[in-house]
Amino acid sequence: MSAANEHSTVSAANERSAIDAVGFFEALAAEMNAHPERYTVLGDADMVAGLLMTRDDGSAFAVEVVFEALGCESVRAIATDELHLVDFYLDGPLAAWHAMFDDIGANGVASGRQTINSLALLGDDIRLRGADPMGVDKFSRFNQTLQEYLDGASRVAPIETGARA
Amino acid sequence: MSMTDKRTWEDLPEVSPMGAPLDWAWLRGAKSEWGVRPKIGPRGLTMLDIAVGPYGDVPDHPRYRSMAPRGADVDPDTPDMGYILNKKSDVWSDNVMELYEEAVARQWSATRDIPWGELPELPSDLEHAICQVCTTLTEVEMIAADLPAKWMWRMNHDFLEAKMFLCTQIMDEARHAEVFRKRALANGGGLLMSRGQGEGLLRTILEAKTYTQATALMHLLGEGFILDIFRMGELIAPSPVEKRMFRMAMQDEARHVAYGTMHIRYAVEKDPDVADEIHEALDHGEVVLTQFGTNQDFGSALAVLLGGGIEHVETKGFPLQLEMQRKQFTSYLARCERAGISRLHRTKLPLELLGIDPNTVLS
Repeated sequence: MSAANEHSTVSAANERSAIDAVGFFEALAAEMNAHPERYTVLGDADMVAGLLMTRDDGSAFAVEVVFEALGCESVRAIATDELHLVDFYLDGPLAAWHAMFDDIGANGVASGRQTINSLALLGDDIRLRGADPMGVDKFSRFNQTLQEYLDGASRVAPIETGARA
Repeated sequence: MSMTDKRTWEDLPEVSPMGAPLDWAWLRGAKSEWGVRPKIGPRGLTMLDIAVGPYGDVPDHPRYRSMAPRGADVDPDTPDMGYILNKKSDVWSDNVMELYEEAVARQWSATRDIPWGELPELPSDLEHAICQVCTTLTEVEMIAADLPAKWMWRMNHDFLEAKMFLCTQIMDEARHAEVFRKRALANGGGLLMSRGQGEGLLRTILEAKTYTQATALMHLLGEGFILDIFRMGELIAPSPVEKRMFRMAMQDEARHVAYGTMHIRYAVEKDPDVADEIHEALDHGEVVLTQFGTNQDFGSALAVLLGGGIEHVETKGFPLQLEMQRKQFTSYLARCERAGISRLHRTKLPLELLGIDPNTVLS
């Protein structure tokens, strides 16, 4: 796994937010936990999700996000060889993740084919993976919760469309 | 002892003021568990929380065939309710309590939770296509309510949690029929074509000879297929309104698939002989499903949505549809493996036509 401090940035002019850093996902978790009203209507979600981002230089950033009941229980950077332990993980090049978060930043929520389900179903850039089909199906079982969590990126920091490290 | 210091149950009257016989034995309390309190978790008191001691023991072969609650002190003369699914492996899955709680926690309203007021005006071809897709989905969704309803009253009541989960599935399917019917009508369109192929698939599922065959056809094959249709629906949704509709429905459908997959696994582990009957059902079901999937209305409407309109149906729609079908078949075959029913070299799905190598499906 690459060092978390060697990350790419996407965010705004005066406050840049790195998406390939554990701090970004911690901010999304804090946003989720601060707004239970967004998740109460969706109900409890129990899943361990992984995200894997591969940079242009071949280095990778992997993060584990643990959801429990109506909140995000924990976020931690993990080694890529730990990804088989999560329920499912989403694997794509950093540029594809940038495009997704840029879209969220621009629209407030993911739109069109930039929703996490659409990206994973097309599988051109971001692929849904997992060791157990039952774990992989949790991606569908809790999809709206996961999407809301990711959509929180529009609120944690302004994201500058197309900005790259 | 459950009585006060002043009286014991033996001192109480043997008949009521109306002359009816009375029995105060219940005042003695439950046999060994009286005084045991389940631990309440952060989300409340769940079915898992109360599955303590003997109350959590689900017998492989229940002693009674009545509606007496499992764990109660049952009158030996309790009547036989005529249950035919009296083996735990007939209906159980190890995740069923978790799935029940999840289902209850994640109910939603097709009236309130879909932003119907934000539906945009769509080009005519796309409006017709989404209406056709919703017509077909409205038609097929209720099979997953009718089928458990057909079998539930035959399930031994000791398998209460499995029956409770199936009740949530019935509610889910009612909501799916509701939400797709509403979408067909909400934007000035309407209900379009219904054909015989769909009915053939539904009849095959409904008329399965055993519950395990039925659940293999419905949960593993049919609902697995529809789950992927919902995922595709989210991808091709013409507006954020349909995107939310398909995402919400997808979550429910994935729970049903999770029950079916793990039920089949449980059944096969406990009684390997049932594998043959499951294979036999799926041999037929896969053929009928393929006919349904290539239905001239549903398939063409999906292709129009995948292409973004009729002008792109051949250049974008059909090629993307083939790609989606590859993913559907692959995920189904992977679930079969997880269920302990390998279909890789027995499946009747047209793998060759879609360029799927069964030897690489699991990779």
